[in-house]
Amino acid sequence: MSALTDPRGAVEDLTRPEGWVLGVSAAFLLFLLAALLTGALGPTYFLFLVGLAGMYALLSFGLNSQWGFAGLINFSVAAFFGVGAYGAALFTASGSPLVELFEGVPLLPSLLGLPIVGLVVGLAVAFVLAILIGIPTLRLRADYLAIASLGLAEVVRLIVLNERWLTNGSAGVRGIPGFFAGWPVLGTFPEAMPGLRLEVIPGSPVLLETAFWQALLNVLLVLAFAGGVYFVLRRAHRSPWGRVLRTIRSDEDLARALGKDTYSFKMQSFVLGSLIMALAGVFYTHLNLYVGPGDLDPITTFYAWVAVILGGSGSNRGALFGGIVIVTIREGTRFLNDVALPIDPAPLRLLLIGVVIIAVMRYRPQGVLPPQRELIWPSAVDGGGAPDSPDSGVREQKGGGGDE
Amino acid sequence: MSEGALAKQDPVLAVDDLQKSFGGLAATDHATFGVERGTITGLIGPNGAGKSTLFNLISGFYEPDGGTVEVNGTDVTGMEPYEVADYGLIRTFQTPRKLEGMTVREAMLVGPREQPGESFRRLFTSPGTVAESESANLAEAERILAEFEIDHLATQPATDISGGQMKLVELARAMLAEPEVLLLDEPVAGVNPTLAKKLKTQIRRLNEQGTTFLLIEHDMEFVMDLADPIVVLDQGHVLTEGTPEGVRNDDRVIDAYLGGGA
Repeated sequence: MSALTDPRGAVEDLTRPEGWVLGVSAAFLLFLLAALLTGALGPTYFLFLVGLAGMYALLSFGLNSQWGFAGLINFSVAAFFGVGAYGAALFTASGSPLVELFEGVPLLPSLLGLPIVGLVVGLAVAFVLAILIGIPTLRLRADYLAIASLGLAEVVRLIVLNERWLTNGSAGVRGIPGFFAGWPVLGTFPEAMPGLRLEVIPGSPVLLETAFWQALLNVLLVLAFAGGVYFVLRRAHRSPWGRVLRTIRSDEDLARALGKDTYSFKMQSFVLGSLIMALAGVFYTHLNLYVGPGDLDPITTFYAWVAVILGGSGSNRGALFGGIVIVTIREGTRFLNDVALPIDPAPLRLLLIGVVIIAVMRYRPQGVLPPQRELIWPSAVDGGGAPDSPDSGVREQKGGGGDE
Repeated sequence: MSEGALAKQDPVLAVDDLQKSFGGLAATDHATFGVERGTITGLIGPNGAGKSTLFNLISGFYEPDGGTVEVNGTDVTGMEPYEVADYGLIRTFQTPRKLEGMTVREAMLVGPREQPGESFRRLFTSPGTVAESESANLAEAERILAEFEIDHLATQPATDISGGQMKLVELARAMLAEPEVLLLDEPVAGVNPTLAKKLKTQIRRLNEQGTTFLLIEHDMEFVMDLADPIVVLDQGHVLTEGTPEGVRNDDRVIDAYLGGGA
């Protein structure tokens, strides 16, 4: 709320878990800063991780707007992610099979190589796919969508793997430019920036070169994507629209009896979430500069689910938190290699995620940062002569403080 | 059978020859009756008479095998529940529906129909209109909660109030949808006598203000005191319809309840 004008009050307003998350995050940031300054963590790699965290946050946002808002069980996160990633890759990569396919056709070749076209195509395909899978399943009970989406994920993955003429099959797509390639200023920004050499601690210099500036651009891009999505979701969540979705999640028949076209609302929620997942895929393409069928493995879906459950379903900032935790566990375990362990740490990654999930389910089933304040359009509560915000919050013993 | 059922002056709800079977069981067997505008019409019948099925058919939750349902003169047979609601018919459920994670007033705000803020696009194109209607709806919700004398519950979690209070909230929320005819499925089942009395007062008050009611109720004292006329359902068809006095003294009704008359 007014963290800038009244920092002490803002801190006192936090619930215990919020304070806890804030404390751990601060400690974690300090740790990262120390690692960066001592050169233990390369700055370019660090920015890559930030981009990856942003990507997972986007995936979690997408799933949260489906499952967290409306209770739609979507097991094809990886498919929508993959559609976005491949859409962007095929339209921008120099090694894309589309280059050959479009050859000689008027106009089409000029569309290739433009990241913005890839973005639009990725989102458009995800949009169509979401509607196609939604039409038969969203009129039925939630279980049917779960099963159909599970199948969809495999179908999309197998198509990508086998339709070589279009996707390059198991070889994947290479030669993808950065998202800003060809843009005025931003396109040449990484090359134009001078290499910097920082030496905070004598003897371990930190080098900032072209790759670093490229990574910095990616981070700015994902911040813009995630920030925009967060803004949209936050507004949607506390609106009458979001309230109907939450009613559907609790009791769809009640929503129908009160005159809500639940099928339409579920479709909107499903399409919105799928578009956000595809956006994550588009970003991933330009972050990783390579996509392959392996990126469509169910593990991506699994990670998104873990992130949303961990953060608290229905909570946007919970989804953000969950996404960051996933990347920390996924990438942090790589560093365990440096520590002498009697066993190979790679399999520990999944074990650790499993342990975290069990612990959260056992001790905090609502997630670490569940949505808190009652969700009424803000100006209506502030100005409508309504009584003050609840003295005892809905999900916590505290109202207010957080963003939602 | 259903003498004078269709001869209503101004029926807000007209059910004609409605049929529904589940497998071999005819749950609704050629039921015909009407609800006169401005009345509180009771719907009674022994367990298994098909009262709830009839509610589900009228409100669009079930698709009838035959027959028609008219709301305000419009044929709504086979429409989706939300479309039926658009014609002014709202229903409640036998077991109170819980909205997890919402406060009472938040749960109330689901009631109003056609809120501008229910359009995703308008959240961004005209947030001013959304805010305006949200303020108005919130004020209206709190006014109705005050009328129901449960405004102290407004910011309580909707899942933490008693069963009877939930019934009150359900009724209050249904009123926010501005129904012309409100179908109540056992409004006082499992409600303590004090709250039941309160519900009765409220239903009567709302009726005086112009809402028509059709209610299923097993509590005979409650329904006989409140409703007039009363429609008696037995084995899926309408046994009789009449004043509480008439129904109470009808041998066929007594037989139906006692399982005799075979």
